[in-house]
Order: sequence, then C-alpha cells, then structure tokens
Amino acid sequence: MSTAETWGRLRQAGLVQGEVPQRDGVRSPWFVRVMLGIAGWFGALFLLLFVGMGMSFIIKNAAAALVVGIVACAVAGALFRKVPENDFAGQFGLAVSMAGQVLILFGIGDAIGKNIAPVALAMAVVQALLFWLLPSYVHRVWAAWSGACALAIALADMGFLAFTPALVLVAFAWVWLKEFDHAKQGSLVRAGGYGLALAAVVIAVMQGDLSIAWILDRPKAPIGGVAGVWIGAALTAATLLWAVVQLLAREDVPLESARGKIALVGAIILAVATLKAPGIGPAVALLVIGFANGNKVLAGLGLITMLGYLSHYYYSLQITLLEKSAVLVCTGIALLAARVALQRYWPEQKEGASHA
Amino acid sequence: MHGRHEVLDWAEEGRIPPGDLRRALEVAGALPDAPAWRQFLDRLLLFAGTLLLAAGVIFFLAFNWNELGRMAKFALVEVLFVAALVAVWRIGIERVAGKAALLGAALFTGALFALIGQTYQTGADTFELFAAWAAAVLPWALVARFPSLWLFWLLLANLAASLYVGTMRSTLWVFSGSERQLWLVFGLNTVALFVWESLALSGIEWLRERWSTRVVAVASGGFATALAVTDIVSRHAGGGLAAWAAWMVAAYLLYRHRVKDLFVLAGGVLSVVVVVSTVVIRHFFRVDAGAFLVVGLLVIGISAAGGWWLKSVAAEEAK
Repeated sequence: MSTAETWGRLRQAGLVQGEVPQRDGVRSPWFVRVMLGIAGWFGALFLLLFVGMGMSFIIKNAAAALVVGIVACAVAGALFRKVPENDFAGQFGLAVSMAGQVLILFGIGDAIGKNIAPVALAMAVVQALLFWLLPSYVHRVWAAWSGACALAIALADMGFLAFTPALVLVAFAWVWLKEFDHAKQGSLVRAGGYGLALAAVVIAVMQGDLSIAWILDRPKAPIGGVAGVWIGAALTAATLLWAVVQLLAREDVPLESARGKIALVGAIILAVATLKAPGIGPAVALLVIGFANGNKVLAGLGLITMLGYLSHYYYSLQITLLEKSAVLVCTGIALLAARVALQRYWPEQKEGASHA
Repeated sequence: MHGRHEVLDWAEEGRIPPGDLRRALEVAGALPDAPAWRQFLDRLLLFAGTLLLAAGVIFFLAFNWNELGRMAKFALVEVLFVAALVAVWRIGIERVAGKAALLGAALFTGALFALIGQTYQTGADTFELFAAWAAAVLPWALVARFPSLWLFWLLLANLAASLYVGTMRSTLWVFSGSERQLWLVFGLNTVALFVWESLALSGIEWLRERWSTRVVAVASGGFATALAVTDIVSRHAGGGLAAWAAWMVAAYLLYRHRVKDLFVLAGGVLSVVVVVSTVVIRHFFRVDAGAFLVVGLLVIGISAAGGWWLKSVAAEEAK
C-alpha cells in the first residue's frame, strides 16, 4: 500500500484532513541506524585511544576526565540540536559523546573509588540525563541500553542480581505497551524501547552471565539466597503473564473467551518453563509485544533471541542437561497440545483472510 | 502490515489527534487483526513446541544417561523420527504443520547420527557427523520449499566445512590454518547466495522472502571481510583482498540495481569501514596519538558518508 493510499484510508475514517503531506527527508531504515551505531562506537574507541595516548594527563586526573567528558557530551548535544539533518555532524557527535561517556566513567570511578555499585548508579543517572538531553535517535538507543545495563550492574553488586531480569523486562514491556499513548513523543519512546529491548536480551535472556560476572569479578552473596533466585525467576514469569493480560485487555479479548483462554494457557506454559529456563519468557515477550505493535524489527529480535537462548541454555551451568531436557521436552509437548486446543476452539475462518 | 512508519510520523507531527493513533494504525492495517493474531499464535505454538521438543531430545542424548540402555535410547529417537515423518506424510508438506514436522525430523536425524557415534565409538570425525546430517537433510530441503530448512542445511554445511579443514590439515596444505577455513566457508556461503538470488530472480516465489537471503548475504559478506582483514594484517597477498573487492563490486551491482536491497548495501558500508581502517592502521601506522585520531575521524567520515548515501538510495527507491 502506498503512502497516498494509507492517507486516503485515514481521511475516509475521518482521522486526518487535507492532502497527503509532502516529506522533505526520508527516514533511515533500522539497519542503517544499526550500522551507524556500530561504526560510531568503533570511531569512539579510536578517539579514546587518541585521548589516552596523546593527552594521558586527562585520563589520570579525575577532575580533568570529568570535565573533558562533560564537554564532549555537550559538544555532541550542540551538534545534534544545531544541525539535526547533517549526517556527518550526527555521526561525529555520536562518537564524541560515546568517548566522552567513557571519560566521565573514568572520572567518576577515580572520584568515588573502587566500589562498583555507586559508580554504576552514577553512570545510570548520567545515561538517563543524556537520554533526555541529546536528541539523536541512535544515541538515545545507546543511552537507554547502557543506562539500563549500568543500573543492573549496580543492583547486582548490591546483591539483587536475581531480580534484575524481571526489572528490565517490566520496563521494556511497559514502554512498548504504552507506545501509542505518547503519539507526539513517538521517536523518544521508541528509542528508549529499543534500548530496553537490547538490555532485556543481555540481562534477562542471556542473564548477563558473561558481562556482569566479568565486571563484578566477585558477585556478592545474592539477597534471599536460593529463595531469592526462585522469586526472581517467578517475577520474570509473572511479567510475561502480566504483559499478555495487558495485551488481551488492549485487544478487547475477554479472559473467559476461548481466545483469551488459549492465549493465557500458552503464556502460562511458557511462564512455568521460565522458572527453570529463565530466558524463554523474556524472549517470547519481545516476540509477542513486537507482533502486537506491528513492529517486525522487535518481533525479529525476539525470534533471534529465542534461538540464541537455546544454545546459550545448553552451556549454562545452573542445572544438569537431564533436567534441562525434561524442561524443554515437557514445554514442547505442552505447547503442541495448546496448538491442538487452538485448532479445536478457535478454528480458522476462511472468508476472513488476514490482510496482514 | 503496512504504513506503520508513515502513521507514526504523521502522529508525531500532530496531523493525527494523539488519542486516535491506535485507531489510525488499525485503519492503515499496521496492527494485527483477529485472523493475523490467530495465525501468529498458531505458528508460535507450533514452531516453539517443535523446536523445544527436538532440542530437549538432543539435550537428553548429550547427557548420556547411563540408567537408560542403548536400545531404549535408539528406540526413543527412532520412534520420534518415524512419528515426525508420519506427521509430514499425513499432513502434507505444503501445510505449515507439515513443514514444522519436517524440521523436527531433520533435528531428530542429527540426534540419531550423534547417538550412533556416541554408542559405537565409530572413530568418525565430528565433521563427518555434520556432513552426514547435511546429506540426509538435503533431499527434504529440496522438496520442502521452506527457507528456514535451507538455512538450517547451510548451517550444517558450514559446520562440516570448517571442522573438515581442522581435520584435514595435511591434505589441504595450500592454505594455512584458519585462513583455509575462511576460504572454504566464504566459498560455500557465496555459492549459496549466488544460487539463492539467481533462483529468486528467475521467479521462484518462496525464495523471495528477503530475510533469509539477508542471513546468507551477511555470512558471505562477513567472511569476505574477514578474508580481507586477514590478508591486510598478515601482510601477504593471499587473494583475500581481491576476493573482498570482487564481492563488494558484485554486491553493489546486484543490490543497488537488480534486487535493490538496502540491507546488504548497509552491511557493505560497514565492511568498507572495517577494511579501510585496518589498511590505515597496518600501513600508515606508527603508534602515536595522531594516527588514532586520523583513524577515528576516518571511521566517522566513511560511516556518515555511507549513511547519507544509503538515505539517498532509500529516497530514490521510495519515489
């Protein structure tokens, strides 16, 4: 369907007036933004090496690192605001700001000392500020992702590691379920939503095994011990159920209807599996919420994450392969049984073929 | 689903009343309706169920549980294998459940081969497992008209190829170590990409799903980039750089003019960024701060120019 046809439909429904608006610019597809983000980070690394070697006094001095870092972020902010359409200024701003953030991290680390939690908390606040202040889409995705990861690291260092997956998943689901309620701030909401989606992949699906353990070096005794781990997993599972109930309400599907029951049964099966295979629930949440919002990129991310999680699960060491295999086989059979129920109680209607 | 981006943009510009955004997306057909939801749930339950069940069986065999005799293990995998094939036969390969059953059968085939190797200690190399698996799955892939099964087959072929080079170090002496692996997987994925695109261009409808071709293109282009980087870093002309250049030209001609796929072009830009900065670091580099600044600015400049170019191509195609 062309842009003009879409506009025509909206006008017919009385949602818009006048002629089709002419666009001056074209939006970059998502993968171009991903490419720019990766290259920006790559460029930032070299800028950092330049500062590190050419002006090592900056890195050695907390105050200097902080000041130069803040100035770098301010320069980036000015570029994003003054010349928002200029691709070169945008890419330069992205790299300069990323390099600046690393300098701020050095500065804060030097000033506060060796304790991880306060440094990570401070960085989470810095990223939140940059998210609001620097109006660049790619930069906002980065700030939301890195800010969420910094907060998770701080919480993990304080002993709340088991609860971080549920927390980031709630934030992710909440933002995307509210996507259409903030029409005027759509870009901002979506940039934050993508950052949180990537954070959910790292923290909730891959469980931050690699990164957090590596950064923390010595994870503190988790609050609540074994019970805490169970509660954390249960909260993640509950988040999936909550998101599905929210979606059913949004789609006006009563929980007692056949459709509502089938959706709920599917969600319960996956939620139970999440207790022992903690990445399943978050990966499915990405997929389902992406589909519900008509967002193929998000749904695709959920699909890739699901496949990646299965191979990650094979190597994760919490439970034996025998237990894992029992979890997977039971879940698989339950899902296939739920599909039989779907075919029986929600038969396909030939005439109402989907246009989607 | 269409029109999502346009409607979201119009809402952000205030052309659609804020409270009406959801309805506008529904009217534009950008959100799933009841039949679309049904189809989505159906496929989610079907494929997630099949995949988890098959993965569970593979995990179970990998655990090598001593309490269960070898006959019982064989019986288990063979019963599942036959059940999957019976399901394919009963349901039919054209229906989605038939395709899922075939995917399950393909996974159980590998489990069966692995079990044979595990039980009888045949002395076979690991690459032979994947090669046999790929060979067994090939006829099904040929008849199923199912891109995911082809991608799975290509994954098996890649694993077999790279493990083969690891094993046959002495016979393939022309290339050294990991470079041989790179050449082999580069060749494999490039041939796969070429065949895939040719068949899609010749009008085979089911091969036209862009996402699966993009996966193959990423593999082929990624290995081409790795070959070029290896060549530059080791300072010997192993042809990697030439292969990369040829790949880039071919990809430009194909994806700019014939197929028009911006995704691959964006990947190409990233590849240029990587290769050019590697060249600069390797050849013009003394370890000093200025050089890092130059490389940093170069990376920023090339990627920004690439972004600008991609945007103008997108604008041209939107017309």
